[in-house]
Amino acid sequence: MNRRSFVKTGCSACVAIGTGLFLSTLESCGPAVSTFKTSQSGMKVSVPMTELANSDFKLVKLKNFGYDVGLQKQPDGNYLALALICTHANNPLSKTGNGYTCSLHGSRFDASGDVKRGPAERSLTKLPVQQLSDRLEIQLQEVKVG
Amino acid sequence: MKRVLVSLLTLLFYFQVSAQQYPVLTPAQKLVIRTGEDSLSAGIAKNKTIVSGYGSAFYQRDFNKGVSTATLERAVFFIGHQFNSKITFFSETEIENAKVEGGEPGGEIALEQAYLQFRFSNSTYLVAGLFIPRIGMLNENHLPVNFNGVERPMVETFIIPATWRELGVGLYGTIPGRPLNYSIGLMNGLSSQNFEHGSGFREGRAEGSFAPANNLAVTGALQYFVSDFRFQVSGYMGGTVGLSQKGADSLGLNSGGFGTPLYLGEASMQYSRGGFSAKAIGTYVSMPDAYKVNKAYSNNVFENMYGAYAELAYNFFENIHNKKLEEQEFVAFARYEMLDMNSKIPKNGIYDGTLKQQHLIVGLSYLPIRNIIIKTDVRLLHTGPQNPELNPNPNPVAAPYQQHNSFFNLGIGYSF
Repeated sequence: MNRRSFVKTGCSACVAIGTGLFLSTLESCGPAVSTFKTSQSGMKVSVPMTELANSDFKLVKLKNFGYDVGLQKQPDGNYLALALICTHANNPLSKTGNGYTCSLHGSRFDASGDVKRGPAERSLTKLPVQQLSDRLEIQLQEVKVG
Repeated sequence: MKRVLVSLLTLLFYFQVSAQQYPVLTPAQKLVIRTGEDSLSAGIAKNKTIVSGYGSAFYQRDFNKGVSTATLERAVFFIGHQFNSKITFFSETEIENAKVEGGEPGGEIALEQAYLQFRFSNSTYLVAGLFIPRIGMLNENHLPVNFNGVERPMVETFIIPATWRELGVGLYGTIPGRPLNYSIGLMNGLSSQNFEHGSGFREGRAEGSFAPANNLAVTGALQYFVSDFRFQVSGYMGGTVGLSQKGADSLGLNSGGFGTPLYLGEASMQYSRGGFSAKAIGTYVSMPDAYKVNKAYSNNVFENMYGAYAELAYNFFENIHNKKLEEQEFVAFARYEMLDMNSKIPKNGIYDGTLKQQHLIVGLSYLPIRNIIIKTDVRLLHTGPQNPELNPNPNPVAAPYQQHNSFFNLGIGYSF
């Protein structure tokens, strides 16, 4: 196989496999990460209840703040807000299917923020959530690093 | 003028003092004052320099040779420093086999990573320096507590030469609204002059030390997370000749950014749920101009090589509801690997059957806490026959080559 045909075949195969995996998983699982972009006011963030009407999870993306927040509706009706920054070396976390992962050293956290894989030793910081009539108010905190 | 300056300084001093004591400041204002930074740093603690690390040691018995070895395989120290919320430095310094003496074979001191990270947002950043591209499963996440088996998987040692780092820039990010991560990188290329028969292109990496920069490499990866799965595809394309055009021409090689190229493709999958985990990877490497490299350097390199493995593991403590065992793991695993480091050779190459290998590894891992691991396993190896043309000491000068071998491994590892 010459170079041209290798590149052509290899690229076609990768695109086909990647597209197939991507589309099949997307179709079966729907939009995976529901996102809400906002800015903090002081050390508080407000999330309208309407944002959580159709989803039990909301990735709250904060402008010009040190971390984003994972907001999750619990089975008991309460809300869990996690600071999405790795407690090992302060790297932002990615949402996975069932928790969060840090690409820097491989730490993994479950949906509750508990450590599933090191080197992180501490759970993710839980942020207080106040449930008001029309919105949730998340109290941001300074996250301890390292 | 003097009065004005004195007044301004007095005012400034007043504001500084009152800012630290005035009781009605918002928490955000207090934070900004305490850390001495702008609001972009809000949310990050003042402790900005991080020191951590990992390491591993092992005992290995090679049953064919009748030889046992014990070594402190590696001790690695991370140092990271956050200059502000947008710029961070990360590094890993590794000492291999405990001891390095001038002029003596043995250990190694090397930087595994040293780069600056520029964060555009909490999901997008750029790295610049010596960094580890996202290729394969182990390369990026190679801590001993995060993989089963005392030895790293063979496929991710010889086909994907982890820990593979090069100098360059990389862009990492997440597609908005999707659990889809991407990365692209631009790095220095490889040096086919240093390729060694039997180790793929491992010896052609520069690892940050006088890298050939006449040639280049690009790499890209996509990671998709869904439910309990992680899927990844990645690719690499790079030149392997860093010589000047004149130098390359004289050796019959193609120079330039991607001259005498090497291509690598990889796809992998990981799954984890309820104590059960599975992972699989397949990778393929091609160097279409291997004939020219062999002609120039006589290093009997491959034209194509491939590797794949699959692993199943179960953590027996996952479903035992006992407080004492919550932090512990007791994992049994089995991994099957197959690879061929010369699945295709150029016309001027010599085929080596010993580079076509199968490995079956069965073992246990015990983690008394998440960052300490005690491992043991048995590795059964089967290779193809040795090519007599490559054997300078045929039987009876040396013992005949044995296609089957087995190894017993016992190791410890840590990370913090």
